[in-house]
Formats: sequence, C-alpha cells, structure tokens
Amino acid sequence: MSDNWIETISIDDVPEDDVIGVTVNGHQIALYKVEDEIFATDNVCTHGHALLSDGFLEDGQIECPLHQGRFCIKTGKAMSEPLTEDIKAYATRMEDGQVFLKFR
Amino acid sequence: MKADNYLKLTQFYQNYAAMVDQENWDAWLDMFSEDCLYKVQARENYERNLPMAALSLTSKGMLKDRIYGITETIFHDPYHQLHLVSSPLILSESDDGIIESQANYTVFRTKNNGIAEVYNVGRYLDHLRLTEQGIQIKSRLCIFDNEMILNSLIYPI
Amino acid sequence: MSHENPIPMAPVWEHEDTSRIPFWAYTDEDIHKQELEKLFYKKHWCYVGLEAEIPQPGDFKRTVIGERSVIMVRHEDNSIYVVENVCAHRGMRFCREKHGHVKSFTCPYHQWNYDLEGKLQGVPFRRGVKQDGKAKGGMPKDFKTSDHGLTKLLVATRGGVVFASFDQNVESFEDFLGPTMLSYFDRMFNGRKLTLLGYNKQRIPGNWKLMQENIKDPYHPGLLHTWFVTFGLWRADNRSELKMDEHFRHAAMISTRGSGGKDTQTTNVSSFKESMQLNDPSFLDVEVEPWWDGPTAVMMTLFPSVILQQQVNSVSTRHIQPNGHGSFDFVWTHFGYEDDTPDMTERRLRQANLFGPAGFVSADDGEVIEFSQQGFEQKPFHRSLAELGGKEIEETDHMVSETLIRGMYAYWRKVMGV
Repeated sequence: MSDNWIETISIDDVPEDDVIGVTVNGHQIALYKVEDEIFATDNVCTHGHALLSDGFLEDGQIECPLHQGRFCIKTGKAMSEPLTEDIKAYATRMEDGQVFLKFR
Repeated sequence: MKADNYLKLTQFYQNYAAMVDQENWDAWLDMFSEDCLYKVQARENYERNLPMAALSLTSKGMLKDRIYGITETIFHDPYHQLHLVSSPLILSESDDGIIESQANYTVFRTKNNGIAEVYNVGRYLDHLRLTEQGIQIKSRLCIFDNEMILNSLIYPI
Repeated sequence: MSHENPIPMAPVWEHEDTSRIPFWAYTDEDIHKQELEKLFYKKHWCYVGLEAEIPQPGDFKRTVIGERSVIMVRHEDNSIYVVENVCAHRGMRFCREKHGHVKSFTCPYHQWNYDLEGKLQGVPFRRGVKQDGKAKGGMPKDFKTSDHGLTKLLVATRGGVVFASFDQNVESFEDFLGPTMLSYFDRMFNGRKLTLLGYNKQRIPGNWKLMQENIKDPYHPGLLHTWFVTFGLWRADNRSELKMDEHFRHAAMISTRGSGGKDTQTTNVSSFKESMQLNDPSFLDVEVEPWWDGPTAVMMTLFPSVILQQQVNSVSTRHIQPNGHGSFDFVWTHFGYEDDTPDMTERRLRQANLFGPAGFVSADDGEVIEFSQQGFEQKPFHRSLAELGGKEIEETDHMVSETLIRGMYAYWRKVMGV
C-alpha cells in the first residue's frame, strides 16, 4: 500500500511559495509549492517537535518556527543548527488538479 | 500471610519505633540478627545504585560500636526523636520464614527549647526473619527522601 | 568594640592582626553578599564536581557556585562546559533535574533552546506568526541569537576534578593553587580515573567560613573527636605539617599516623576514653596505598569552595554551598579509583562511617559550627580568638597552632578590603 500514490488535497489549496500541513494516512505531512512545483516532507521537526507548516519557507528551505532549524524541502536534509537529524522527504505527483504523494 | 503473623509484624514495626524513640538501645540491638545489615541511605544514592550511605553498618558489632559512639563519644545537641511508622506492606514471604516488607516513616526531631521539626522522612526496606521466638532484622535499609540532613544524624532511624 | 553602641554601624577590623576575628564577619548579611561577589564570583576557581559524575557526552549535573546555580555538562567532543542555570530570556532557573542526559537545554517557559555550550540556538516565533500570508510579531530584525547565550564559565579540569569561574580574567587553576597545594592536589588526583561512590548532604546552620576554619584547625580533632584519638587516627604527637599557598588562602593539614596505631592504644593527653574497644574492628581496616607516599591523612582546604579529604582509605570532596550568612549546604562526594579492588571499595565505604553528617568524627563538626554561629549572633560586636601558636602566620611542623585560620583571615581582609 505504501507503494501507491495517495491522493491528498487540491493543488490550489497549497499556498504559493508557502507551506501547508496535512494528515495523510495518519502521518503529519508538510506540502510546499514553489514555482508550480509541489514538495512534501514530514511536518514534525526532529529537534523541538514543532510543526514545520507554522514555519517560514525561504530559498527552498523550511525554517522551524520554534528554534529556527532549517530543512531542505526537496531532500529533507537538516541544513543548520540546532538540527542533527533529517526529516523524510516524499515524492509527489500532480494529476487532475490534485496532489498525490508516495510514502516510499 | 496468616493473620496472627501479620499482627506480629505490625507489632514489630511499632515496637521498633517505640524502642528507638525511648532510646532503649539494648532493645534496639536485640531486634537485629548477628549477620545483620543496617543502612541509612539517601534516596538519590539508592535509586542511582551508588553504594554510599550516611550510615552503613554491616554487622551487629558495628551496631554496638555505633551505640557506643552516640552515647559516649559523639558530641551533639540533645534531642528526642518521634517516629510515625505506617503499617507494613508485605513484598514477599519465603518458606523459610524470611519476610520482605516495607513501611513508610516520618521522624520528628525536638531539641531542648525547640519545637518539633520534620527531621527525616523515608521508608524502611526490610528483610525480616520470622521464628517461633519472634521477629529479627536481617537487613533494614532506611531510604530517606530529604535531600539535606538537618545538620547531623546521631541516633538510629 | 564601643560599649556605648555595641552594634557596629560599619564593620571595622579593630584588632591589629588576625588573632582576633570579629563576630560580624559571620553575622552580617551585607558582608556575606560581598563575599559572594569577591570570593565566589571573582578571582577564584570554585569546585563544581568530578568528571566521573558525567561520563558520557550529554551527561549533566546541576550544582552551585556560591549561591548561583550552574550546570556542568559533557559536550559531544568530550570536553566539559559549565553554564549558569538562568535563561537568557526571562531569567528562569530552567534546569530542575539534579543530573541527567540531554542533547540540548530548553527553558520550559518559552522554549528557548541552548546547545551544550550554552549558545542560544533558536527562539520560538522569532519571525512571528503567519496570518493571512503575513508574518506578524516576532523578534526585531537585529535580534541575534549569538547575543543571548547562557552565561558561560571558564572551566579547569585536573585529575578528574572540575572547577569553574565566572571571572573571565581569573589566573590559571595551577597558579590559583600554587606549587605546594598543587603537589598535594596531584597526589590525590594523579590521573587515575575516579569512580563515583555517592553523596552525603547536610544543611549546617552556620556561616560557611566556619567549615573552612574547621579544616584549618588542628587544635580540635584530638579534643572534640574522641573517637579519632582513641584509635590513633589523630594524635597531637603524630608527625604533622601545616602548609599554605603564598596568599595563605589554601591550606593542607598533613599527618602521618604514629606508632600508636590501632593495636596499641597509647594513652595521650587528649584521649579521655582510652578504654574504648571496637566490637567490629573492620571500621579501621586500613590498607596503606602506594599513592599516599607517607601521610595517612591530608586535609586540603581550597578557598573558598571545597575541602579535599584523604583520611586513610576514605577519600572525598566536600563542597561548600552557602545559603545566606547563617547557613550552608555541605555536599560530600565520595569516590574511589578505577583500579580499586572490590575489597578496597568496601574498605572505603566502611571507613566512610567516620565521615559525613552521621560520621563518628564528622557529626560533631556540624554541631559545633551551629553553636558557634549561635554565639556570634547573640553578640555580633564581640570577637573570637585564634592565638594558638602565636600571632604570626607561618607553616609549622606540628599541630598545635591556629596559624592557618590567621592566614585565611589575612587573605580575607585583603580581598574584602576590611
């Protein structure tokens, strides 16, 4: 099942140059839209466990609102202190105006 | 545990408190077996498996030496102790008459010209030997909660 | 000591030397606050703990310097940091556990987060909160996390013992001790790893200096501690030395047990109870250790914060933690060495029955300090006397002198400006 594409929300509901938090199969996911491309990562920061969707998207990185740790939205890689642990990034696909996501 | 044994056990706990409060050290010594262990240890040490204790007496001879120390050599302010001891909780009971039990205690200290103050609070963790003759302490750990001992600890708890 | 107005308006050291010590030095709260500033927070290295208490990276221990709460923590790179336990934001003493293991420190009030060196890593809502696509509130643009770390102390570790100082200009730890004290320090902490045996903690209702004085006073052990004397652990005629650093602030009382020993209880002028016999002699089952290099007891007072104890096989640090002018917490950390046999560990634990708040010979020290303070409080215009061995300050090769106390007060007067 995790191999399947899972339908999430409408493309139009993902704010431009910003982030939104959704729950997909019980997982908290952050969806980002940058220049008509959609990216998806875990939404919970590996450091202080805040929601990244409350944070700030800038230059392809999401900054956690709690302690300003930054992750790459394409790879999930932790880019700055105080982060020591990456988040997961997920493949996305757009079809029929909807965002689809694949967990693995 | 049979009801009459439980009665003996509760009487033992209360008698211990009474003997210590009355400073009847001969009676206190008689409650321990020859190969006894008696410790007064901070909860912090106990829970972190650190062996240090405020008092760590590992034979009846050491208990006697402690009594000699508190009655003859250690200088200290005179004070009375008053123990309140809860009814014991039986943790285990073996076929050969060894009871593992615990009870909470509070000790109030009253000095000359002073008011009673809470001096030491904790729990006894015991291994007791129940025989036809009565109950004897194989080991008694007094694990106390208060982070600071109020200056000094002279008498047994 | 004016008889018209016996309570001094301002503390004045009336006597020409330090063979008289005014009671106000122990009873005046303003003096106490000055002491904290001048002795504990400036120009001195204060004890914080043993490396063995925080063996793994991320391990921390909360303790105090003077009356300021600090945290000693081991960094990922294995070095030790000491930071003050006060959040840079609203000043909360955020660390509540006595010890533990963390990746970083977080103040629970507003989740300000610090790394193990005390650097501020981030603050919640630094950029405000997003509403309708706009960020509202938050810190100003010029807010820099680098300006708002925890107060970071200088740290000195030597032989597994950790000292720290709030004073960024303090001399080196080695200079602070001076060569004589350093040699006795290195004797006890000679590079072998220490093992933690545990703590004893007591609150003594007396001025903290009285504990320093107690261990600078070789007059009392043979008189107060009857228990010691009878078993030859302390005899006035033992081979003994009193040594100090060049400032007279630190001291060592060094003694070697005489031939009296535990078997032949030679009577002594100060032994009042010579018939005493132990029912269980294992309290004094002493084994000579090679590192002693002679002395059976070396008691070091490192001013102002700690006493280092070797009494035969019992070794400990005794940390002085003042609470106001009339009380201090006294925290004993007993330890052993990594190469101790199980028998040696048992021996150290058995001999520890002599020390600490319930100890055969230490319980009475806490008591006499309490009653000294009572005497001072009732007539603060009066003074005590420390004239044994004369009025001078000098090292001696005997125990019948109060020279170390006079030395400490000579230094104290200089630093305190009184």
